[in-house]
Amino acid sequence: MRLPLLALLAKEPAHGYELKHALEKTFGSAYPSPNIGQIYVTLGRLEKDGYVRAVDVEQSNRPNKKVYYLTAAGREALENWVDEPTEGPRVRDEFFMKLVLAPLTGIADRMALVNRQRRHYLSLMRDLNELAEQTDPGNRVALLLIEGAMLHLQADLDWLERCQEELP
Amino acid sequence: MTDAPAIKAINLVKIYQSGGVPVPAVRGIDMRVESGEFVAIMGPSGSGKSTLVHMLGGLDVRTSGEIWIDGTRADTLSESGWALLRRQKVGFVFQFFNLVANMTVADNVELPALLGGVSPRQARERREYLLGELGLTERAAAAPAQLSGGEQQRVALARALANQPRLLLADEPTGNLDSRNTKDVLRLLSDVHRKGQTIVLVTHDARVASMADRVVSLLDGQIVDDGALPRTRRRPLGTVGDVVELRG
Amino acid sequence: MRAELRWIRADLRARRGQALLTILTVAGIVTALVTAATLLEDGTNPWRGLFTRGHGAHIWIHTKDTPDVVSLQGLDGVADIAGPYRSAPATLTGHGRKVPIALQETPAAFQAVARPLLREGRWLDVRDPDAVVVERSFARALGLRPGSPFPVTGLNGASHTLIVAGVAESGDQGFYPDWAPGLVWTLAGTLNVVEPAPGRTETVIGLRLADPDDTDLVVQRAVTALDNQVQRVSTWREVRASMELDNRLLGLLLALFGVAGLVAAALALANATGGRVLGQVRDIATLKSLGFTRGQVTRTLVAEHGVLGVFGIVVGLVAGRLITAYALPDTVVVPLSSGPFAAIALGTGLVVLGSVWLPAWRGGRTPPIPATPAAPPRGHLSRLARVALLVRLPPALVLGARDAFTRRTHALLTVSGVAIPMMMISIGLGSWATLDEFIRHPERVGQAAALTVRPGDLSADEARGRAAADPDVAALYPGAELDALVPWQTRTVRTRALGLSADPYPFPVVEGRIFRDRGEAVAGQGLLDLLGVHVGDRVRMTIGGTPLIVRIVGRVVEPEQDGEVLSFGLDSLAAKDAEPPQFYSLVLRSGADPAEVRDRLHDRALEVAQVVNPADRLSIIRLIIVALVVVLALIGLANLLTASALGLRDHAPDLAVLKAMGLTPRQVMATLVTGTGLLAVSGVVIGTVAGASLSTALIDLEGRESGVGAGIGRAPTPGMLVASVLVAVGASLLVTLIPARRAARARVPHSAR
Repeated sequence: MRLPLLALLAKEPAHGYELKHALEKTFGSAYPSPNIGQIYVTLGRLEKDGYVRAVDVEQSNRPNKKVYYLTAAGREALENWVDEPTEGPRVRDEFFMKLVLAPLTGIADRMALVNRQRRHYLSLMRDLNELAEQTDPGNRVALLLIEGAMLHLQADLDWLERCQEELP
Repeated sequence: MTDAPAIKAINLVKIYQSGGVPVPAVRGIDMRVESGEFVAIMGPSGSGKSTLVHMLGGLDVRTSGEIWIDGTRADTLSESGWALLRRQKVGFVFQFFNLVANMTVADNVELPALLGGVSPRQARERREYLLGELGLTERAAAAPAQLSGGEQQRVALARALANQPRLLLADEPTGNLDSRNTKDVLRLLSDVHRKGQTIVLVTHDARVASMADRVVSLLDGQIVDDGALPRTRRRPLGTVGDVVELRG
Repeated sequence: MRAELRWIRADLRARRGQALLTILTVAGIVTALVTAATLLEDGTNPWRGLFTRGHGAHIWIHTKDTPDVVSLQGLDGVADIAGPYRSAPATLTGHGRKVPIALQETPAAFQAVARPLLREGRWLDVRDPDAVVVERSFARALGLRPGSPFPVTGLNGASHTLIVAGVAESGDQGFYPDWAPGLVWTLAGTLNVVEPAPGRTETVIGLRLADPDDTDLVVQRAVTALDNQVQRVSTWREVRASMELDNRLLGLLLALFGVAGLVAAALALANATGGRVLGQVRDIATLKSLGFTRGQVTRTLVAEHGVLGVFGIVVGLVAGRLITAYALPDTVVVPLSSGPFAAIALGTGLVVLGSVWLPAWRGGRTPPIPATPAAPPRGHLSRLARVALLVRLPPALVLGARDAFTRRTHALLTVSGVAIPMMMISIGLGSWATLDEFIRHPERVGQAAALTVRPGDLSADEARGRAAADPDVAALYPGAELDALVPWQTRTVRTRALGLSADPYPFPVVEGRIFRDRGEAVAGQGLLDLLGVHVGDRVRMTIGGTPLIVRIVGRVVEPEQDGEVLSFGLDSLAAKDAEPPQFYSLVLRSGADPAEVRDRLHDRALEVAQVVNPADRLSIIRLIIVALVVVLALIGLANLLTASALGLRDHAPDLAVLKAMGLTPRQVMATLVTGTGLLAVSGVVIGTVAGASLSTALIDLEGRESGVGAGIGRAPTPGMLVASVLVAVGASLLVTLIPARRAARARVPHSAR
C-alpha cells in the first residue's frame, strides 16, 4: 500500500484518516477497505525511509494530529513506480497443482475438482454481479475494477475448460 | 398440469451424418427444468450445447430419446406440430439476433403475436408494453439494420417474449455483444426471470451463467456437471479482492 | 393470416424494383399474347369486326313485297330492324363483259343498323343521283375505284351510266366471288331509274337480334309471321363462314409462340422467386423458429410472388385490351372475344402459380435453425477454371471461371434462363425466314401463278388470247376447281385441275413426283390426312356424278383449304367439266409487278384476281415475332440480372478478400463479369444452336399439322443468327457489368456472420 499512499500525498498533504477516506472514495466498495492501523504503520515506515515527513498540527480541544508531506525522495520513488511497467497477474497455480497432482494420489477425481472449481468461480462471478449492481453507476473507477475482476474470472473459467478438455 | 416440469429430456441423442460417417453431437442427456427455473448450459465449443437447445425447441430433430414440454410429449411431433408448439410455448433468442431484416422493429415484435392469432390491436399493445420495458419505444419504426447490436438483441428478446411463452430458449444471446451491451441484456434476462420466466440458455459467458439458478456443463455431448451454484459468501458482501490483488 | 400479410408487405416494400420487374415481365407476356390472339382472331375472321362496327343485322330476309315490318319488329328476340330496302338485279356492262349485280336501295343518311363501312371515296348524296357505292371485294375483283364509270343495264335492257362514288365494306354479305352477285348500294331514286317496274324488285329486311344464339328460332318465327312471302333468308353464320380464312397454320404458329412466351415467363418467375428465396434463407429460418410451419412458409411465398404474377396478368390483360383498342384501331375493330381472353388469363395464372410454387416449396423446406448463414459451397477449381489457368489467362478470368460453376443448380438455372428465351428467339427468326421465303419464292409454296383470269362472259379462247398477249405473262395454265364427293365422307373436297398432264402447272412437289399422265394426281398433306392415304395410293371420287379415279403420285405444299386439295391435269377431268376451262392461272415473268399486270388485264375487260400470298395473311405474325422477341429478350436479361445479383451476394465476402489481396477494382469487375458472363454466353450459344436446329423441324411440324405439309420450314439465315448472338452477348455482358461495376467500386464491409 506504500506507493498508493505516496501518490495520494503527492496530490496534497494529508493525515491518516484523510488518506483512508480518499482510498475508499476512489475505489469504492470494490476494493477492500484499508485498516486505519495498517495505514499508520505504513506511514511510519515511509517516514523512516525518508519518503514522507510528518508535521504535528495543534488542535484546540483534541490531541495534535500528524499531517504527512511527500519528500523529494518520496517523489522520486513515486516517479520510478509510475515509470516502470507493472507485472501481469499470476496464474492461479494452486488449483493447477491440485488438478495435476491430486489424481495421482487417488484422493480426488479430476472431473470433480474441475466441477467444484467452476461452481466456485461462478458463484464468485455472481457476487461480482451483485456488487456491480450495488455500486453507484457514476463510480467509473469502481466499476472498471469490477469488470477487470470479471474478465479475469472469465479467463480462469476458459482455462478450466481447456484443462477439462486436455487432461484425461 | 402446473406441477409438470417445463422441460424434461430423457436419454436424448443426436447423431449427424457427415459424409456417411455418424458424428454424435449429443450422447444420451437426461435433464429436467422446473417451471420458473433459470438453467445455463455451458461447455466448450463442439460439446453439443447448441444442438441440445435446438432440439429442445424442435429446431433440430432428435435421433432418439424423449422430450417433454410442459407435460406433453414433443419429440414425436411433426415439423409443423413443433411450429405450432413454438408459437404458443417457446421463445427463441439467437446469437446473431436474427431480426427479419425487411421488417421494422415494431413488426418484428408483433409478428409472433399475430402468428399466435392475436388481434392486431392486442399485438400492438403487447409490443408497446415490451418495447417500453426494454427502453426501445422510440426505435419502433426503425429498421433492424439501424440498431446497434445490443438494441437488436433487446428487440429479439422482446420478440421471443411476445407470446408470453412458457419457455425461453437462448443460444449464446450475448455471444456477439460487447460487455456494455451484454450488461443490458443480462439485466433484462434477470428481470424476466424474477417475474417467473423459465429460461434455458446456452452460453460461454460466465457472467450470464452466474445468474442462473443452475448450471449444466456439457463435455462431448454428455452432462458432466449439473447443479445449483453454491452460496459461498464468506462476507456479507464480496469484493474484487478475492479475484484481484492490487499490488502494493 | 395477419402474420403472413405483415411479412409479405414488408418484403415487397424492401424490393420494389424487383417486384416491378416481375410484374412487367408477366404483363409484357400477357399483353403480347392478348395482342397476338386479337390480331389472329381479327385477321382470320374479318366478319366480326365488320359486323360489330357496322352494327350489322343477324338475319336478312328477302321477300317479294314489302313485309309487315311491325309484326317483324314485334317478334320476340328482335332488337332492331334494317330496312326494308328494295333490291333489284342488274348487269354491269362494259369492256365487253357482263357481270350480274344486285342494286340495293339505301338511305343517304347512315342508318343505325347494318350500315356499310365506307373505305374509299364518299357516300351517296341526293344531289348526285348517278352515284353508287360498291362493295369492296367486288370492286377489287373488277378493278373499280371511286370515279370509275359504272355502266348498268337493267332487266328492261336500258343502259344507264352511273359513277362509282365510294367503296364500302359490309358484314351483311360475304366476299365476292364466293358471294355473288356483287353488291352495289344506290339511292332509292337511282334504283327506280334503273328498275322502274316494282314487280321485278324484291325487298330485303335485316333483323338485329338481342341474342345471336336465337337466330334459328327467330328465322322460324319470321318465316311463319311472313307466311309465304319469304323468298330467301341468310344469317350471320353463313356470312361469317364465307369470310373465314383457313387459319390453322397461323393458329399453330401463334400457339407455338404463346407456349414459348409462357415457358419463358415461368422461367423468369421461377428464377426471380428462387433467387429471392435463396437470398432470404436466414429470414425464413427465423420465421420458422418463431413458429411458421413449412406449409405456411410455402403458402406465404406463393402468395407473395403469385400476387405479383397475378397483378402482372391483370396489367397485361388491361394493356392488351388498351393496345388493341387504341394503338391498333385500324387493324383491330373488336376486342378479343371472351373465350380466348379467359383462356389466356387462366393459362398464365396457372403458369405463374406453378412456377412460383417450386421455389416456394423449397423455401418451405428450409431448416429452422437460422444461426447457420447460407454460405456458398467452396468448390475447388472447376475443370474450366483449370483450363483457364493452363492457358495462362489473367487471374481475374480464372477466378471468374471458377465462380461460374460453383453452384451447379444455380449455374444450370442461369444458363437455361438465357438459353430458353434465346432458343425461342431463334425459332422466331426461323419463322421470319419462312415468311420471307413465302414472299420471295411464292412458287415454292404452290403459288407460282400470281394472277388468275376468269373469262367471265368472254369465250375461254378469247380470254386466253388477251391474257397471253400481255408481255409480262410468262406462262398460262387452264384450270378448273370443282368440289368432289369422296366415298365414305359426308363432305366434299376441293379438286383442282390445273395445266395439262403433258404441261403441268409448276406445283411445289416435296414428296414423290408431279403428275405426268392422265389419272395421276398430287395432293396436299391435309387431303392425305383426311382420306388416310399415302403417296402411291389410288383414290376414287365423284365430280358432279362422274367418277374419277386417280393415283396420288406426289405431295405438294398446299396453302389453300388447309391442304385438303387434290390437284391433277385438266385432261384427267371429264370433258364436260374441263371445257371450257373456268380460269387461267398466269405465271408472270420474274420481276413483274402483279398489280400492274392485273390493272392492264382489267383494262382488257378480263376478270382478274390476284392470288393472296399466305405470307400476307401471316403478316401479323411478324408483328408478334417482333413483340415476342422483345419480351423474350427482356426476360432473358431479367434472369441474368437475378443471377448476377445472386452471384454478387455469394461473393460479397470474397470481394473484400480479393481487394485486400491486391486486385484492382477493374480486375474485381472482370472477375464478376466473367463469372456471370460465362454462363450467359453459354446460354446464348446453346439457345441459338438449339433454336436454329429446331426451328425448321418445328415449322415443318406445324406445316404438317396445319395441312399445308412439311417442307415450308426455313432455318434463320446465318447473318440473322450471328447478329442475334452478338446482340444477345453484348446485352448480357452489359447487364452483368452494371452490378459488377457497382460492386467493384463499393467498399465492401466485412459482414458479421
